Amino acid sequence: MSRDNTLQQQADAARREPPMYRADLTLTQVTRDISAPITGEPNGWWWAGFLISVALLGMGSAIVTYQLNYGLGLIGLMHPIMWGTYITNFVFWVGIGHAGTLISAILFLLRQRWRTAINRSAEAMTIFAVCCAGLFPLLHVGRTLLAFWLIPYPNFRYLWVNFRSPLIWDVFAVSTYATTSLLFWYQGMIPDLATIRDQEKRPLARKIYSIFAQRWKGTAADWHHYESAYGLFAAIATPLVLSVHSVVSTDFAVSTLPGWHDTIFPPYFVAGAIFSGFAMVVTILSILRKAFHLEDYITLDHMELMNKVILGTSMIVGYAYILEVYMAWYGENRYDWHIYVWIRFLGTYAWAGWLTIFCNVLTPLIFWFRKARRSLVVMFIVSIIANIGMWFERYVIICTSLAQDFLPSNWGYFRPTIFDIGVLVGSFGLFFTLFLLFARFVPTIAMSEIKAVLHHPVGEISGSPTLEESHV
Amino acid sequence: MSSFVAPYKGKPAMLALFIDPHQLVDAIVALREQGYRGLDAATPFPVHGLSEALGMGPSWMPRVTKTAFFTGATLGLAFQLWANGWTWPINVAGKPFFSVPASMPITFECGILCAAICTFYAVFIAGRLYPVTNFELLDSRITNDRFALFVPTGGQNVEATERLLQKLGAQEVQQLG
Repeated sequence: MSRDNTLQQQADAARREPPMYRADLTLTQVTRDISAPITGEPNGWWWAGFLISVALLGMGSAIVTYQLNYGLGLIGLMHPIMWGTYITNFVFWVGIGHAGTLISAILFLLRQRWRTAINRSAEAMTIFAVCCAGLFPLLHVGRTLLAFWLIPYPNFRYLWVNFRSPLIWDVFAVSTYATTSLLFWYQGMIPDLATIRDQEKRPLARKIYSIFAQRWKGTAADWHHYESAYGLFAAIATPLVLSVHSVVSTDFAVSTLPGWHDTIFPPYFVAGAIFSGFAMVVTILSILRKAFHLEDYITLDHMELMNKVILGTSMIVGYAYILEVYMAWYGENRYDWHIYVWIRFLGTYAWAGWLTIFCNVLTPLIFWFRKARRSLVVMFIVSIIANIGMWFERYVIICTSLAQDFLPSNWGYFRPTIFDIGVLVGSFGLFFTLFLLFARFVPTIAMSEIKAVLHHPVGEISGSPTLEESHV
Repeated sequence: MSSFVAPYKGKPAMLALFIDPHQLVDAIVALREQGYRGLDAATPFPVHGLSEALGMGPSWMPRVTKTAFFTGATLGLAFQLWANGWTWPINVAGKPFFSVPASMPITFECGILCAAICTFYAVFIAGRLYPVTNFELLDSRITNDRFALFVPTGGQNVEATERLLQKLGAQEVQQLG
């Protein structure tokens, strides 16, 4: 295929689609708009958000420090419920991360070009969510100083971990996921960091961006390898993201407890993860686009498409809920029936079960209406409700099965303490602290990718310094 | 090639800046037809058709990823076989010490981890990327809104090259070296 054909076909394809961004956007304008939050001074809202997040993070850290000293009895763990909110938080945060990889990898492979506006911030969200998630199993093991025993390292007693245990699969899956997401994110960011490096006037900032931009020049060969690597990263991240939450679900599914021992868990967990992750993306981006004046880039069309994903995955999650109840009935297993129907929807945990149904199955149905999908207020509220629902979904899964197992003499009821809630809120503090730092110091939108899908990707002539003036 | 790094230390050459990526690709084709060799281009985003116009072959990245994936996966599987099947067999509920299905998750994750790390570093090696504190491009707009074309002028008429570049749509042309 000749070059003209390729370019011609690309241009034709671009013309057939409705323009994604304003037709008069130039390359110069894209750089100016997206680097404005970095080269300028942060406004009061940023400082307010940052200080609140740091305060929450400080509170969470204080509780965790106290817990490390006092012991796990500080939080609501009590026989028979030994997996409480820490594991709930772990599953919740890992799930939040999934939307980022879905947007950066799966939508890339599916040639969904609208992803360019949101992939950078969604990937950042992935990494920060995995940071939050990774903390909880470490805290949950109780003797956190010995958490490194989870890693198979050479030791003079020749002891190794049990590789058949899903808990060890988790160690591998989550750490691989964190590493791969971080590398993918940074690799995609290098060209934009180079743009900031070349725009930056302050000497110290210029030096720092120069270090992180790694001598990026943007030559044809650079882009050639970069694009190839980007596609490959997407190709390996796609099965990875599906494997991570599947592995997390096997923590439960491989056990024999009713309510956990369930073959539908891997796809059900992955769908739930994408659902909650997209809800978090919508929550964050509906604020970010306003705060940083990025309405031209993160358009209502983008938000609408994300709301469609939320609607779709919410229906998959709803299907899984129904299927669980159906299988309990159809399988005629009295223990399954007791957990899936009796405790979750009629008995002691009915409040949580119905809250889950209301938040995850019923509320997103409003997105069948185009008006609701395009209303910022509606999507903001629905996305927050969806994440409350997804947290309680994990809470229901974990607590109901443990609360009433095969022996009625063992039965109990989980009561989270104030410290459980404090650590959860603290993890949100960590997440938003990292996200606000990201929004301040890194281009929140992939400039080079936006530029590549502009309708007329040309530079401005007037107003730019000439070659001689800019030449150093 | 480091032809876009300031200060320029190479052989005599010209730097032409375009504002339109299509003009850049067309200019490369035209210059190559006229016998210019050693052309290089730098752009703010990956321009499709550019590597083909410059006559580059396919990237060797896929081979790195593939090799790394299978190496990592093999090592991961072998390690589990050795650790749980050979040197430290633990009897858990009478299950086999080593079985392939139970080792698949870790085998897969090891392959992915190895592939990701190797692909990441391969891009750094391919583009000779490493951290420096004082990097300068020949023109700071190359990463922003200009499409730069580097034309070695050894053995070519400098004025004719300049006129040709302007005719091909270059906004600015500068002599280097």
